[in-house]
Amino acid sequence: MSDLPVTTDSGETPSGTADASKVVDLTAAPEVAAADVPPELLAQSLGQYLRAWWLRVRGGDSGVLPVVLAIVVVAVSFQVANSQFLSALNLVNLFEQSTVYMVLAMAEIFALLLGEIDLSVGLVMAFGSVMVAELVQPTGPGWPWWAAIIAALLVCSAFGAIQGSLVARLRMPSFIVTLGGLLILEGVGIIFLGGALVGIGNSQFTNEVVLYDIFYGQFDPVVSWILLAVLVGGAGTWLWLRDVRKRRAGLETPPRSLTALKIALMAVAGIAVVAICNVNRAHSGTIEGVPYIIPIVLVVLAASTVLLQRTRFGRYVYAIGGNAEAARRAGVKLPAVRTWGFVLAALTSGIAGVLFASWQVSLTTNIIKTANSYVLLAVAAAVIGGTSLFGGRGKTIHGVLGGLVIGGIYNGLYLLGVSSQWIDVVVAAVLLVAAAVDVLSRRGAPRRA
Amino acid sequence: MTADPGETPAGTADATMVADLTADPEVAAADVPPGLVAQSLGQYLRASWLQVRSGNSGVLPVVLAMVLVAITFEIVTPEHAFLRPSNLVYIFGLSTVYMMLAMAETVVLLLGEIDLSVGAVALIGGVIAFKLVQHPGPGWPWWAAILAALVCCGVIGALQGTLTARLKIPSFVVTLAGFLLFSGILVVVLGGANGFLTVSAAVPNQRVIYYMVQGVIVPVAGWIALAVVVGATGAALWLRAAARRRQGLVAPPAGLTAIRIALVALVGVAVLTVCTVNRGTPLVAVRGVPWVIPIVIVVLGAWTLLLQRTRFGRYVYAIGGNPEAARRAGVSLAAIRTWAFALCSATAGLGGILLGSFFFGEYSTNTADPGQLVLYAVAAAVIGGVSLFGGRGKAIHGVLGGLLIGSIAYGVSLLSLGTLATPLEYIVPGSVLLAAVAVDVLSRRGSGSVTRV
Repeated sequence: MSDLPVTTDSGETPSGTADASKVVDLTAAPEVAAADVPPELLAQSLGQYLRAWWLRVRGGDSGVLPVVLAIVVVAVSFQVANSQFLSALNLVNLFEQSTVYMVLAMAEIFALLLGEIDLSVGLVMAFGSVMVAELVQPTGPGWPWWAAIIAALLVCSAFGAIQGSLVARLRMPSFIVTLGGLLILEGVGIIFLGGALVGIGNSQFTNEVVLYDIFYGQFDPVVSWILLAVLVGGAGTWLWLRDVRKRRAGLETPPRSLTALKIALMAVAGIAVVAICNVNRAHSGTIEGVPYIIPIVLVVLAASTVLLQRTRFGRYVYAIGGNAEAARRAGVKLPAVRTWGFVLAALTSGIAGVLFASWQVSLTTNIIKTANSYVLLAVAAAVIGGTSLFGGRGKTIHGVLGGLVIGGIYNGLYLLGVSSQWIDVVVAAVLLVAAAVDVLSRRGAPRRA
Repeated sequence: MTADPGETPAGTADATMVADLTADPEVAAADVPPGLVAQSLGQYLRASWLQVRSGNSGVLPVVLAMVLVAITFEIVTPEHAFLRPSNLVYIFGLSTVYMMLAMAETVVLLLGEIDLSVGAVALIGGVIAFKLVQHPGPGWPWWAAILAALVCCGVIGALQGTLTARLKIPSFVVTLAGFLLFSGILVVVLGGANGFLTVSAAVPNQRVIYYMVQGVIVPVAGWIALAVVVGATGAALWLRAAARRRQGLVAPPAGLTAIRIALVALVGVAVLTVCTVNRGTPLVAVRGVPWVIPIVIVVLGAWTLLLQRTRFGRYVYAIGGNPEAARRAGVSLAAIRTWAFALCSATAGLGGILLGSFFFGEYSTNTADPGQLVLYAVAAAVIGGVSLFGGRGKAIHGVLGGLLIGSIAYGVSLLSLGTLATPLEYIVPGSVLLAAVAVDVLSRRGSGSVTRV
């Protein structure tokens, strides 16, 4: 901001030299775009906002734009190839298949933002799922479902804390720590599974039914509409009132039309999702309504977004990812923040594990052995979504959108009858393209050499 | 610095007294090879010890770890079977793929990069070679098939290297994508998830590939070859040192050269003795050095020469130590990096061919998990003493690390642990890897040569 002539900065110097009668368009200054100032802080009208946003995209900070385009491309091309792709049944299916990738990608983003990598997320997920399923077994521990989930999440977090400490305090490369960690976890997971199969599909036991329903249950259609109304109403009111309050306090506020547009977009997206989910998608009988996992993913997304965008911890994470030495000199305790980053990654992976247990219904040793491939997909989803591999850039929404792309590719190719090895090939190609875009966009950005 | 006559020969030091350069801790810290400054065996040993203490411990930890592993497994295995000659030979065969992949990974790690695709590329190389010698099928001669496989792998590596070196996409991501890509293509080449390829000893053209690991050199020929190799190596070492001394260059003390030659001879005799014991049945005797041992030695020799004695090797170390400094010194970073990835992948491809040969000439989708192979390869290199931060390590470290990983894997499998056997296959290498990296990190911290935020 120091590059800016102070005279044009009417927002920060209300009694300054600026001509108060003329509102200067701050967004027109290319330095503002380059300096990563969020457009809504400076824009005073919707047109200015759009222009500022476009400048940012051109400056290399394209946010969710590429991944949204990718989703459109995936949707259109598969729909052309197979008209079933965009059917209500398949869309719900696709989202369900994508959830594990989404949550895992959000987990990975905690590490990526710090400029680290966590290769163990797949195994933490598998371990968490095995633990949940084992703990509720009526013939075994027979814990209630909530206790099993809490215990699994705690153990996963503890594992993340150990890995994080090794990375943060000993400064061992996160790549290797989590590589060793996943090997160890793979072994421990197999021991824990006891070489046998564990399932949660027995409808006679309430605890197993609850776990099963996490993935396969859904709200009643009417309830779905009510929940949507409450959600959009609540979020919309909150957004609007926040702006009103800020405006009254004389703070910088996004233009009204932008807020209205955001709320409208939210409502439209929500209505579309609920409408799609309320179509009967059973081959026989009735399955309709919003699946529980949609709000679950939304809650994880909202919690991580608030944590990263609105708290001091989140700001420290971005600061370390952007320039660790600068953050250290500014007084940020690097080891603590880094350790917590890995704890959160493991915790989120544990949540993915709960979903995974519910999705798979029965877990075998084979699942632990193949859990490794999930970490690749998680990294791919995060990078495809727009998270930078170099730290400091990305949001958890990128993980959700990237997970949707990966899920869409898997689902679409599967619908076309393509065998799984070719699906891997396509995902690899998409990952490479995403990484190349990441690199090239950073090169285009003037602020980083 | 007054005690440093090496740098100030006309300085304040007493010229009549030959100063012991090795006693200078700065020499040790500055990574000067002890062989260059030592003037006697005692000085050499002292200098080596200083180097070890300053964090540059070379092969010492991995050799100690091997001794420890051998003793432990010899004690705890049923019937104390671990050190039986038949088992030792088997362990070498089992470790071959890890040794080859670790050597491959070493050159990339030296650059400060990583290659996660070595496992998948190795399997691709093996499958290509096996596919090309099929009758009916392409029916290529065995040498052409192997050559084609190595070239294919080299091209794959060059592509990945180009993406890393020119586009500056992190090697981690490029090779991650490569891993996915080639794991998929592997299944395609094999002909589906249930596809498999075999080579048989009965087909003359396939016999070479079949016997690459398991085939033996008859003991007499083995002894003769050993005598020739030790004689030639010894003569070369001795004459080189003598020539250097004659020209007034820095030469290792004569005692040291003698000890080195004796060590080579001793190891050779030990290996041959072990291999000459009959490891078949009394009726069907199997004795002699398996072909895989000279193959590994040749690859190791080639890599050592390339890294230690050529300009390419010096550039690799320079880039790994400080890429910006190397660039300013005029090193073409992109070319060296691309070549390193290409050579890494070609070596991995050879490892894949040897892997198929080890499994009695059969290749299927179950032969090996490419993900596990790469984990073991990285672990082997790091355990062997290659630094993850670039610039430190040698090919021999990969070989020793691979042997250690193979030993552990086989030792655990001997323990008849029942259901614990599979988990320990993961837990033990994972723990060893963590311990090795902790040592790497702590030793570098001790040497003061690195400060990471």
